[in-house]
Amino acid sequence: MSDQTMTIHLKIWRQNDPNTPGKLVDYTVDDVNPDMSFLEMLDWLNERLMNEGEVPIEFDHDCREGICGSCNLVLNGMAHGPQKGTAVCQLHMRKYKDGDTIVVEPWRAKAFPMIKDLVVDRNALDRIMAAGGYISVNTGAPADANALPINKYDADLAFDYAACIGCGACVAACPNSSASLFTGAKIAQLAHLPQGHPERKSRVVSMVDKMAEEGFGDCSNYAECEAVCPAEISITAIAEMRREYFKALPVIE
Amino acid sequence: MSKAATFLNSQVGRKIATGVTGLGLVLFIIVHLIGNLTYFAGADAINTYSYTLHQLGPLLWVVRLGLLAFFVYHAWLGISIWLGRRRARPEGYVVQATRGEPSRQNWSSRSMILTGILLLLFIITHLNTFAFHDFQTAVVGGVEMHDVHQRLTEVFQSPLYTVYYVAIMILLGMHLRHGVWSSFQSLGWMSRKTNPVIYSIAFVLAVIIAAGFIGLPLSIYFGLF
Repeated sequence: MSDQTMTIHLKIWRQNDPNTPGKLVDYTVDDVNPDMSFLEMLDWLNERLMNEGEVPIEFDHDCREGICGSCNLVLNGMAHGPQKGTAVCQLHMRKYKDGDTIVVEPWRAKAFPMIKDLVVDRNALDRIMAAGGYISVNTGAPADANALPINKYDADLAFDYAACIGCGACVAACPNSSASLFTGAKIAQLAHLPQGHPERKSRVVSMVDKMAEEGFGDCSNYAECEAVCPAEISITAIAEMRREYFKALPVIE
Repeated sequence: MSKAATFLNSQVGRKIATGVTGLGLVLFIIVHLIGNLTYFAGADAINTYSYTLHQLGPLLWVVRLGLLAFFVYHAWLGISIWLGRRRARPEGYVVQATRGEPSRQNWSSRSMILTGILLLLFIITHLNTFAFHDFQTAVVGGVEMHDVHQRLTEVFQSPLYTVYYVAIMILLGMHLRHGVWSSFQSLGWMSRKTNPVIYSIAFVLAVIIAAGFIGLPLSIYFGLF
């Protein structure tokens, strides 16, 4: 552990409930250990607020090791902060300088309604999944390993797309609030696997429809989603979704 | 709804349509540029080129109406996608920044709506300046034809018009810088390997097209040709 502490100025979005207008509130934390994660720094600030009898800042978090997709903070205008390929829980304060000011905001999209402070409702992503992001199989004893041969190329690509943790940073960073990277990753993952083939066409049509129905915007190929994605999913997933949609033309009504 | 309507109203269909119309318009622009460059081959060359084009008759009208449809549909899609932004994010960020590479957010992609609308307005004035204008007559090889060479030379004597035209062609280059790459991504012709290659090709193509269109008025204005 480092002995040096830092002073960090925060401007954090505080909002009591969806119907009360929110605003940025200034906080200064002057005993930040550089080895703290960003969320630990918020815990530290919350401890102090509670001791002072104030209402702590609400924020989403769970695993804190970058795999669950719970954390969702926009730091200085960047979803998950400035560090490439990491969720904000894996961002450490040593990435900042003593005296830095950080603006902390929640994900912003109509499809992600505000709950409180930095917490938004991301169930819309689950509803896109429920529209087709699965395979229908009979459960029971597991199939034999290697009974279904999959070539290395497709297996690797499917694995890359499956890395999506569903955090919604792609939506948060997109100027249009499009969920194309999230939806495209799931469609592309299943399109590369034989298990995904029986429902391949109906899946892409249902999921793309659901995405628009939930109020996510159109994609304009800004590729900002790829830049902020903690799983570093390529916008090739979006290109694949478009190819899949084109192949599904026969089943469109 | 019919199959086509469902497809074209979906978010994917809208992007595919934007890409197809966009690429069609790029193709037209390239042909237009090649036509313009016949100016450098002399008055007879460009006048004959224009004359030959007009001899196409009904086919020319098919192309013209097709182009008009492409322009209108492309613009409508772009404007409607842009209008959807506010609906999809009613409350915006206080601070917004790009994370940088591999993001394609830049001066070109962010200004698509602005450059697009200015290009649309330009096309109207452009048709008024050239297509709907009464040309003088030139005789090439015993055939009477519009003196396009004379009109071009006359129009680009004006410093104001030359500056306006050059400025718009720079905007065209900006629009194509994001547009050409984006249309390939929209049509799904993209893999991890081709992505950076097509992004670079789009830049080179945008520069060549803009430079080609700017070269003509500047050469005329400065009397280089």
